[in-house]
Amino acid sequence: MPKIEIPLADFLPLAGLENTDDLEKLLESLKAELDGLYEKTVKIELNDTNRPDLWTAEGVARGLRCWKNGAESHLDSLKAPEVHIDVHSNLKDIRPFIAAFTATGWKVDEDGLESLITAQEKITAGFGKERKTAAIGFYPLEGISFPVRYETTSTETSFQPLGEETEMTLAEILEKTETGMKYADILKGFKEYPILKDRSGAILSFPPVLNSHITGKVTPGDSGLFCEVTGTDWHTVNLTATILACNLEDRGAVISPVEIRYPHGEVTVTPVIYRDTLTASFKDISRMIGIDVKELDLEVLLSKMDYGEIEMGEDSVTAVMPPYRRDGIHPRDLMEDIVIAIGLGNMGPILPSEYTVGSAAPVEILARSVKALLVGAGCEEIMRPILTSFEKISTLTRTPELPIRISNPMTAEYGVVSNTLLPALLEVESSSGHAAFPHRLFTVGEILCRRDNSLCETQMNLAVSIGDGDFGEIHSILGIICHLRGLELSLKALDDPRFIPGRSAAVVINGGEVGILGEFHPGVLETWGITVPVAGFELPLESLRV
Amino acid sequence: MSETVSKDLHPLEKTLLKWLAEHGSGSDMEAMAGTGMDEGSYRRALQWLLSRNMASIISSSKTVTVELGAVGTVYAEKGITPELALIELVRSGVALLPEIQKNELFDRAQWGSAMGALLKSGVLKKGPDGLALNDPSGGVFPAVWSGVYSVLGEGGTVHLSQLKESVVAEVSSRAPKRGRSRAEFVINETTSSVIEIAPLGTEALEAARGKSTIGILTREILASGEWKNGSFRRYQVDIPPSRIHIGRFHPYALFLDSVRDKLQAMGFQEMKGSLAESEFWNNDALFMPQFHPARDIHDAYYLEDGIKVAPPSRDLGDKVRSAHENGGNTGGRGWEYNFEWERSLKAIMRSQGTALSARTLGSDPDIPGKYFGIAKCFRYDQVDATHLPDFFQVEGIVLGEDINMRHLLGLLKLFATEVAGATEYKFVPAYFPFTEPSVELHVKHPVLGWFEMGGAGLFRREVCEPMGIDVPVIAWGLGLDRMALLALGLSDIRDLLNPDLAKLREMRSTPEKLLGGGDNA
Repeated sequence: MPKIEIPLADFLPLAGLENTDDLEKLLESLKAELDGLYEKTVKIELNDTNRPDLWTAEGVARGLRCWKNGAESHLDSLKAPEVHIDVHSNLKDIRPFIAAFTATGWKVDEDGLESLITAQEKITAGFGKERKTAAIGFYPLEGISFPVRYETTSTETSFQPLGEETEMTLAEILEKTETGMKYADILKGFKEYPILKDRSGAILSFPPVLNSHITGKVTPGDSGLFCEVTGTDWHTVNLTATILACNLEDRGAVISPVEIRYPHGEVTVTPVIYRDTLTASFKDISRMIGIDVKELDLEVLLSKMDYGEIEMGEDSVTAVMPPYRRDGIHPRDLMEDIVIAIGLGNMGPILPSEYTVGSAAPVEILARSVKALLVGAGCEEIMRPILTSFEKISTLTRTPELPIRISNPMTAEYGVVSNTLLPALLEVESSSGHAAFPHRLFTVGEILCRRDNSLCETQMNLAVSIGDGDFGEIHSILGIICHLRGLELSLKALDDPRFIPGRSAAVVINGGEVGILGEFHPGVLETWGITVPVAGFELPLESLRV
Repeated sequence: MSETVSKDLHPLEKTLLKWLAEHGSGSDMEAMAGTGMDEGSYRRALQWLLSRNMASIISSSKTVTVELGAVGTVYAEKGITPELALIELVRSGVALLPEIQKNELFDRAQWGSAMGALLKSGVLKKGPDGLALNDPSGGVFPAVWSGVYSVLGEGGTVHLSQLKESVVAEVSSRAPKRGRSRAEFVINETTSSVIEIAPLGTEALEAARGKSTIGILTREILASGEWKNGSFRRYQVDIPPSRIHIGRFHPYALFLDSVRDKLQAMGFQEMKGSLAESEFWNNDALFMPQFHPARDIHDAYYLEDGIKVAPPSRDLGDKVRSAHENGGNTGGRGWEYNFEWERSLKAIMRSQGTALSARTLGSDPDIPGKYFGIAKCFRYDQVDATHLPDFFQVEGIVLGEDINMRHLLGLLKLFATEVAGATEYKFVPAYFPFTEPSVELHVKHPVLGWFEMGGAGLFRREVCEPMGIDVPVIAWGLGLDRMALLALGLSDIRDLLNPDLAKLREMRSTPEKLLGGGDNA
């Protein structure tokens, strides 16, 4: 979840707050948490991954203002675009989309600039998939001559990137600068790279990596900005630009749109003014929230959530989401905003009235019955993780069946999924030489087995072992469990690499071969570092079902 | 105290008590001599009697005595020490060491060290013609002879405290702590006590007199009736028991069973699923778009190539795809992207228990119905004090024609009080991809304080509609790890699955206290 740290001196006036007293509670309405309150800054965690508009100081501040004062207008009276960007068809497979606008009448200050940079970082990292689907660029408007051209150029084209002392080729930027190395993967495999130039041919930036040092360096005092967003996803690019435009408008800037002229005559005007409209019937609202809608003032409630246009119909409400939001994809989303506006603490919890009968899963009931017998037999229950290492199962224990591997393990220690429980008991044995003997151990747990047609299947197994015990003792434990459950047990000699030849057997219950039992081979004990004889058995729990 | 003291006597105790009863009191030496016990047996018997208040010490004193070592014994036999002999020689005019050493009364080394001692103490001095007598009295050396050698020779005892200070210093310097056998003197410190019989001792002696005592009761004693003629040795019952190890359930398993029992009691049926899931059931069916950040390669464990989970029916797959791409019949517009069927079929280790709920929705659940699952889940996390490679999530759903948000909150409130024993709770708006509205339950635990206990919400239509579920569905999940650690008295989550049996044997077993905020720590 994104976290932003913002200066209180900037944030509090923007949010219309005197102090931070109620901040923690107020943030709940935005699904945000107060992560840290410091002398000069506040750290906020934003939990809604579909609301990138909230990942900025302006967005959080706006949410809090509306909660208190009701909906605001956004990008209401944009003029017709006076300037445009030409997009070249070569970008089709590289980075096809761009959105842009200009912001004038607001003088960039330190806090505003810092906020722009935070937005740039947070939105393009998460929502923009590390700048792949959307990357943001800001420029001083002064000195840019329109139309701007978004096109491709040779990797050998050179300019002086922001923060560097000399001109570098685009290839060098990707190889040598910190930012270049970080985002080089986005352009991997392309012969030409995206470039943004103005009419005079001056390079503005090399999206999505770096601005020009000459034309792309914004400093406090600049009174006009040119903002653009490029990327590979249409909606991500356009929504990002709209969010930035709303943010700058909130700071007092006048937003002017830019016309984007795509190849083959397609034209878009950005920022796009989204008007996602949601309609919910009164019946559905009442049914879902459990309160008769007649008792609610939906207009007031939705206004708190910044819905500026609300239309009350005969039996439904229609509301237009603010343009910086595109997360309303179902009437249910409108209902959630109503619930938040009512306040979860004001809903009045009640319990479901319809009677239902509870029950444990049959395999769990069986597990409890068998475990009780084992405890009666003096066995201590062991629990170990399911993820384990290939070494423990195969190399150390010599299990004949190979476990299923994890293709992207974090460490080899947890590189496979257990397909047997005996290694876990041997591991306990090898870690417990100092604990008084004998060790009668058992474990019941899920394992993952290979099945036909490369399918895998989960199975609940039981394994029992005795440290400082022998074949006869482990046989007796299995014997008494089968006897008390009325199952017919026999053993059928079966050599297995885990056990001493001649001292292992297939477990046969009611005529079916279900598991294995034996006295562990001293070679297995030696590799595990176990200094006492160990005998054990393992079988599927279901084989003990009567 | 006296009620619990055993009056049965060990034979050694009995012997000592008898002697004391006859003599009333006596010193260690007297008692040992009188009973014929060696010192070890005597000390043991006395220690037992003292600990059981059957005897008491009247007085005790420390005495320090001087005895002759091996070297001193030789001097005593010769009737003179080298120092005194050397004084006599010098007095008689023998002044040079080589000449002295020709005298065979003592060996060369003994003469040498005697000369050193006499020079150092100033009895002799080195003159122009060799050794000369400086102190005709002979300094301390005649007193050493008369105070120690003579007295011991007459069979007396030399107490250090009775000697002059200068003699004590000289004797002490010749009585090394180590190598006592080769020393001139040996200094012995002994504590000697005077003891007497106590009333309890008299009582015990009387009780024991004339009767045989039975220690371990055997079948033979029972069969022969021998016990009728004897008394039973009373056991000392207040010593701690020896530790035995018994069969037992794992405390964490008991905790999970407590949760299972509690949820059954609330009318929930248990769901079971697969450790490995297709991305379809783990994510797609829960309306998590395939581009969702939580579906990154670094958020789930993928199974080795070629391993598959049985695919969903194509019909269900198409409905879920439509919900994602354009909303299908859900009444919404979907995520507006191209859904990849291949991605759906990838096999991963279940990353969220909600996959179980999705499967339940897809297999004709009861309506009204309540379901829960205690599901092993796998997250791509470094293992540390708060993260295990696999962990249990407790999840569930409630389906019903009339189910709404207020029931969701009511249920969460019930979890807060029944499972966590919370004194206060609050609901906070939250975001989960598969529920809308979504809620977090924060509880004030009696010990842990405020923490986020779980998440919940109403399943989105995009989750329910493809499964053919028309009624509202509550979905909830509880995080119980912190409560489990607290209930089991642990601070490191890795200790829940510790392979060390000795540590496991130290964990308490009080399953009745595991839920409801119990603190076993």
